[in-house]
Formats: sequence, C-alpha cells, structure tokens
Amino acid sequence: MSESAVKAAPAADVSVKAQNSQPVKAAGDAKDAKQTEGAAKDAKPAEGGDAPKKLSPAELKKQKAAEKQARRAQQKAAGPALKEQGSQQKDAQKQQKGSKQAPKDDKSRPIPVRRRPSQSSAPVTQTLKKEPKADAKQVGLFFGHLYSQPRKHSMAGASKDVHPAILALGLQYSSYTICGSTARMVAMLLAFKSLIASYQTPMGTSLSRHLIQLLGIQIEYLRDCRPYSITMGNAIRWLKDIIVKTDPSTPEIDAKRDLLDEIDMFIRERVTAADKLIRELAVTKILPGDVILTYASSSIVEQTLLEAHNAGISFSVIVVDSKPLFEGKTLARKLANAGLKVRYFLITGASHAIKDASKVFLGAHAMMSNGRLYSRVGTALVSMLANAQSLPVIVLCESIKFTEKVALDSIVGNEVAPAEELLSESERQNLLPLKNLLPKSHPASKEENDGEGSKPPVASDVLKWIDASKNLHHLQVLYDVTPAEYIDMVITEYGSLPPSSVPVVHRLRSEGEKQLFQ
Amino acid sequence: MSIAPLSKELTMPDFDIVGAYRRILSEDSELTMPVAAIEALVEAIAASSVSTVAETLDLLSNLTSILKASIANPISLSAGTDLFQRYLITTLNRPAALNLGSNDDFKIIRNHLISNGNLFVERAKQSREKIASFGTSFIREGATILTNGGSRVVGALLRRAAESSTMRFKVIYVLSSSSSADAEGGRKTVADLRTHNVPVAVIPDSAVAYSLGKVDMVIVGAEGVVENGGIISRLGTYQMGLLAKSKGKPFYVVAESHKFVRLYPLNQFDLPIDQKILDFSISDDVKAVDGAKVAEDEGVADLGSSEPKHSAHTAANAVDFTPPDLISGIITESGVLTPSAVSEELIKIWF
Repeated sequence: MSESAVKAAPAADVSVKAQNSQPVKAAGDAKDAKQTEGAAKDAKPAEGGDAPKKLSPAELKKQKAAEKQARRAQQKAAGPALKEQGSQQKDAQKQQKGSKQAPKDDKSRPIPVRRRPSQSSAPVTQTLKKEPKADAKQVGLFFGHLYSQPRKHSMAGASKDVHPAILALGLQYSSYTICGSTARMVAMLLAFKSLIASYQTPMGTSLSRHLIQLLGIQIEYLRDCRPYSITMGNAIRWLKDIIVKTDPSTPEIDAKRDLLDEIDMFIRERVTAADKLIRELAVTKILPGDVILTYASSSIVEQTLLEAHNAGISFSVIVVDSKPLFEGKTLARKLANAGLKVRYFLITGASHAIKDASKVFLGAHAMMSNGRLYSRVGTALVSMLANAQSLPVIVLCESIKFTEKVALDSIVGNEVAPAEELLSESERQNLLPLKNLLPKSHPASKEENDGEGSKPPVASDVLKWIDASKNLHHLQVLYDVTPAEYIDMVITEYGSLPPSSVPVVHRLRSEGEKQLFQ
Repeated sequence: MSIAPLSKELTMPDFDIVGAYRRILSEDSELTMPVAAIEALVEAIAASSVSTVAETLDLLSNLTSILKASIANPISLSAGTDLFQRYLITTLNRPAALNLGSNDDFKIIRNHLISNGNLFVERAKQSREKIASFGTSFIREGATILTNGGSRVVGALLRRAAESSTMRFKVIYVLSSSSSADAEGGRKTVADLRTHNVPVAVIPDSAVAYSLGKVDMVIVGAEGVVENGGIISRLGTYQMGLLAKSKGKPFYVVAESHKFVRLYPLNQFDLPIDQKILDFSISDDVKAVDGAKVAEDEGVADLGSSEPKHSAHTAANAVDFTPPDLISGIITESGVLTPSAVSEELIKIWF
C-alpha cells in the first residue's frame, strides 16, 4: 500500500466521524435540527474520548425542559395518587445524567415518560450504557437491558453518506415492509450492490479501506432502523471479509465487478440454491394425508408447502398466527389461493389446532450453536405443544442462519419492538403524533366513535393504564428460543440434521470458508 | 441404458450381483449385510472391464439399485453400499491422494480399489471383536443383562464377557417362538452362553416389562443406526427402549460403524420400507394377505434368484425405529458414542 493512502486513511476516519457525530446530536427532531446542529459543532472537539457522555449545553437545557414537561404531564394524568412517586422518579431521572431528549420526536413516542428514550441515532453502545439504568427501573421486568434506542422511522438525521437505496431499505425494515431474516439479508445485499455499483474510491485512499468505512455507516443506519438479524450479521461479516481481501492493486472497475459478482454468487449459493435443496428434502417429509401445522410465516416453509402441493401430494395446512404482525395471514391467503386446504388459528387456539396436526414445520430466524431455535415469538409455545403431542417438529433453515452464539433463554438476547404495536388499531390512532398534546379527556378521535359506541372508552382506558400506572408495562419482544429437545429435525441444504449437529455444520462451513480464503 | 457408450454396463449387470451377495452371506455366517454387499460390489468391479471413473460409478449405482430392489429390507444393506459408493467417489475424484502416479492409469486405481475393498471387509470383521472388548467394560459383576434377537455383535460381546473368567453375570434373552433366521441366531447365542456357564433365561416379548425389575442394563444390536442417533432394529426393540427408559435402565446399542445409514426417520411409519404389520381387516383370513404380498414381490423373481426371499413384511422379520432419546450409548468399534455424535460421524463421512 502506498504511503499516501496510509496517511490519508486517518483523515478519512476523522471525516467519517464528523459526519457521524452530526446525526448523533441532530437526533431525530427535525424541528430543532438547526439548533442541535450548532450544538453538534460545539461538541465535536470532545468527540474523541468519552464523547457519548457529553452533551451540548443546548441539549441539556432542552432535555431538562422536556423532563419537567413530561413529569408534569404524567402527574396530571396519574392524579394525586402518584405524586409521591413522581418525586421518586425525579431522582431516577437525575441519575440518567440527562440521557433523555425531547419527547415529541418525529414519530413521537408519546406515551409514557419511562418509554421515552433518546431518539438520537447515536451508536447503540452509547445508549446501551445509559439506558439500562433508567429502563431497569422504569421498564422493569427482565427485559430492561434490551431497550437500547427506539427504532428509527425516518431518514431524518441520517448521515449524508448513507446511500439512497439504504435509506429506503431502512424505512422498509422499520415498517416491516421487508420482514423475515432471509428477505432482509437479501434486500440488504442488493442495496449494497447498488452502493458498490455507484461507488468511487476517493483520492488518496484504497477501496478496501474506504468501502469498509462506508459500509459501516450504512450498517449503522440500518441497525438504527431495526436491529439486524443473524443472517445480516453473517452476510456483513462475509462481505467485509471479501472487501478487506480485495487486492489493492486491482483496478477499481475490476474490484467492483468482482464484488458484485461475489454478492450475486453468495445470494445464489446460500439462499436460492439452498432453498431449492431444502425444499426438495422437506417435500419428501410431507406424506399424503398429512396435516402440516406452521407458525407465523416463513418463506421457506411457504415454498415447501407450495411445492408439495404442486407435486400432487394431498395434504392440508394449519397456520397458527399471532398479534401484532399477523404474518400468518399472508401465508394462509397465499396457500389458499394456490388451492391448498388451509385452516387459520390464532396462537390462543394453538392447543386445539395441534390436535388435528400430524407434523409441525417451522421457519427460523437463527439456529443457535446449542441447537436451540431462535424464531418468531410464539414458536417455542407451538413446538412445546407439538412435543407434548409427540408430533415431529421440523425446522427448515438455510445454513446462513447458523450462528456460533448460544442462547439459554429468550431474555438475554432478544429484539424489543415498539410496544405500541401491541395495541389495536384504534388504540394506536390515539398515539398518532401530537394527539397526546390534547388533554386525555378530550374526545380526540371522533372517527372511533363511528365504529362501536363502547370502544373508545375502552381504548382510552388501556392508554390511561399504560400512561399512568407505574407498574404496568407493555412489552413486545419479537423472538423466543425453542429448546433443542423440542426439535426433531433441522433440514438444511446439507441434509437433515438433529439440532445437536448445528454447531458441527457451522464449524465445517466456516472452516471451509477460511480455507477458501487462504 | 439404450445409449451406445453404456453397452459395457449393459453387460455388467449380467454379473449376478444378487447371487454373489447371497452366496457371500451364506458362505460366511459371521458377515453382516452391509459388508456382504460391499464384498459383492468389489467382486463385481473386479469381474468387470470398466476403464473410466464415470463407468465405474455408473456400474456401481446400477448394481446397487439392483441389489437394493432384490432385498425386502434394504436399510442395513444400503448403509454398506452408500458407504462404498461414497468412498469410491472421494477416491476416484482425487486419484492424486492415492499416490498412484498419473491420473490416466485407471487400472492401478482400480486394483487399488479392489484391494482396499477387501481391506474394508477384513476390517469390518475385526470390528466386532473390538466392539466386544469395548462393551465388556460396561458389564458389571453380578449384573443382569436384557437383550433380544439374534444379533451377532451382541452375541460376540456376551461371549467375550463370559470368557473372561472373573466376571459373573446373568442374561435375560427375549426370543420369539418363530423359526426366523433371527430367532435361530438368538437360540444359538443362548446355547453358546449356557455352555460358558452363563445363566440365561429366555422370555417372550410379552414378558419384557415383567422382567425389567430384575434387569440392570439393556444391550441390543441394530440393523442400522440412523442420522439422528436412533436405531432401526428388529421389531420389539422400540418397546424395550421405552420400557427401559421408564424404569431408568441404561439402554445400550452395539453396532459396527458401517451400519450408520444416511436416513432420518421421524417415526415408525417414516421408514423407507413397506411393512404391513398393521393390517386392518374384517376377515380372519390372514393367508390371503400373504398371498397378495408374494404377488407384489414377483418383480424380484426375474433377477434369477432361486432362493425364496425372506418376507420382511411379516412381524417375524419386521423392524422398528428406536428414537435417540431412549438410547444411552452406542458402542461402536471406534468408541462409545452418544446418539447425537452419530450425526457428527455421518457428517464427517458425507461432507
């Protein structure tokens, strides 16, 4: 590598940091963007060391005001009974060292004071350090450590280096438009492809160095939109690896073309071809007369069921689904449209549904190295029910979903989604931005009254509880962990395995990759 | 088969693979089905005039499918043929690894294969003794062992234990009254053990639960060890496993590692063979069903097999699947494995 490149690299580093620091400060609050921008400039010199702790005076002021306001609002809502607790909370909030920000951010996390973490796009590590203290006390339960920062629902405050394709993708992630770990990974790789296609190495740096940094920015933005999946993590690690290994002497055009080819090949090999093999294997496990039960929606399960149906096997399907994503609805509709006999249950009826089933097919978010399945919350319940009925539980899973991590429970590692998603549609309407500025008693949502006469009071009751009650938490986790003993078989592109063989295959796979690169 | 270049293979199936297989099995009563299959395949390749890698593999897969089709229950056999096929593919694709010189000299490779195939057969025979020596350490002084069927590995293990003069133990042997080859083998083992001064009680299948209170450990043989670590074994093994588990008795399987088969049954009815054990009927006429079965099997007759084919469909020769959670350990010639380690062994072979 030439010396100039080496020298230039730190410079690039600084510039990246500077760009980064802006969104950290500018946060999501578009209204105050100008103010905070100034603040960010102030803060910049301190960026090196313990930057995360430091906040500009303007921000501190804003936060204090916000806290006061929020406290007042809460006391108002809760009534006199909560006043003493209010003072307690004051202390608690002081301990937070002003980690909080104004409550009325872009998409407004209007409800509880305790649920109003900072909206900044600061790296998770920063917020992780501060938040748990607050949340452990306020969010309570066992899941306090999972609240890092709320999901980003807008492009506001994104670094200018984030590629437009990535910007769009992030929003699709946060709104569940692209959902499912494989789909998210493929969409991400495709977005990276357009990033690479339009990429130009700046003067005085090398592609492998600069592109990695650029990727880091994209990934950070995506992670702010929604924490990334195991598959995305695996794909990112792989991509970074091949970028780093790009020979600096390769002409840029060639290097880019190679990268694009590699990504295409990766998708083809690890997803398209793998899916085909899994489908072929899994179809042999569907016998005429079977009743296949599946939970939520997995693309590979859907493909398998459709392929078996097209192969002329007569079987029926039970789709068990749950609030709030209702992914199973789409699956049930697709299967029914294809001519399959489908029954649709909510998870509350799973114990009944399982009695009619003869096999359970599950998709996966990830397979842990202790053979446990990490998948949509509710999967563990379904597989335990199936196990109690001694039904075979079959997991369909590409090997890209294998991870060297282990999980003993669903508490240590999980993804917390915005809890409002748990509420019904009408309740959520109450949570629309600015609605909370109105007094709670105000008949804010007239449109609800059109529906059912009795509904609106109920809905507002729920909100009142959530708002006012100190010890009522609502929580939405996205995943759970199914113990290996409830899983009979894992079908991967390498064949069918018992869950205990997941780490073996993962090891062989990564060893193979290492050899490939040596 | 109609393509001209394949004419050589067309002549090759003339080699009576099924006959060779049956002859090898009957010549040496100590041989297991997979080993006999491998030996027959080696013989076939030796007798053939194949001159390329592709031809060899074609010939092999042809012969294998003929062989499999001729046997009522090809699970055990397929363990051997699959293993041999895999071995051939890996060695033929990497001839350099054999240090046999240039790639072109296929004759040398072939000779190497044939001699190695024989080596495999020799090793397989020795493995039973190795298992016996591993297994005897599981038998404690004064123990009572429950076993079933006519497994030769189990027989070898018990004999080895009996021959070591220091150890005294009793055996409860589950034997059906049928005259199947399996039961015959079992009776032979019983007689053999009794001559070695081992007290043996012979009980019917129905007395397993009754006797279990007196039992310290269960040792069974297996026809095949499947991918998830479960076993396919003679009918009745599954219920022994269930009962042993419910009484907390250790349940050990002895099997040579060439019985590891690439198969993953989910339950009893997910085996790749068609067993008519559950035969719902409203008439008492059992014979009529048997007649129908003979008709089904007629496809085998034109393979020139004069020997009456064993019907695996009847309960006497049927098999069941014992899931891995009932098994405490699998004793193989390469060591004692937990059921979950079987999958790792298979992955090592097949990846």
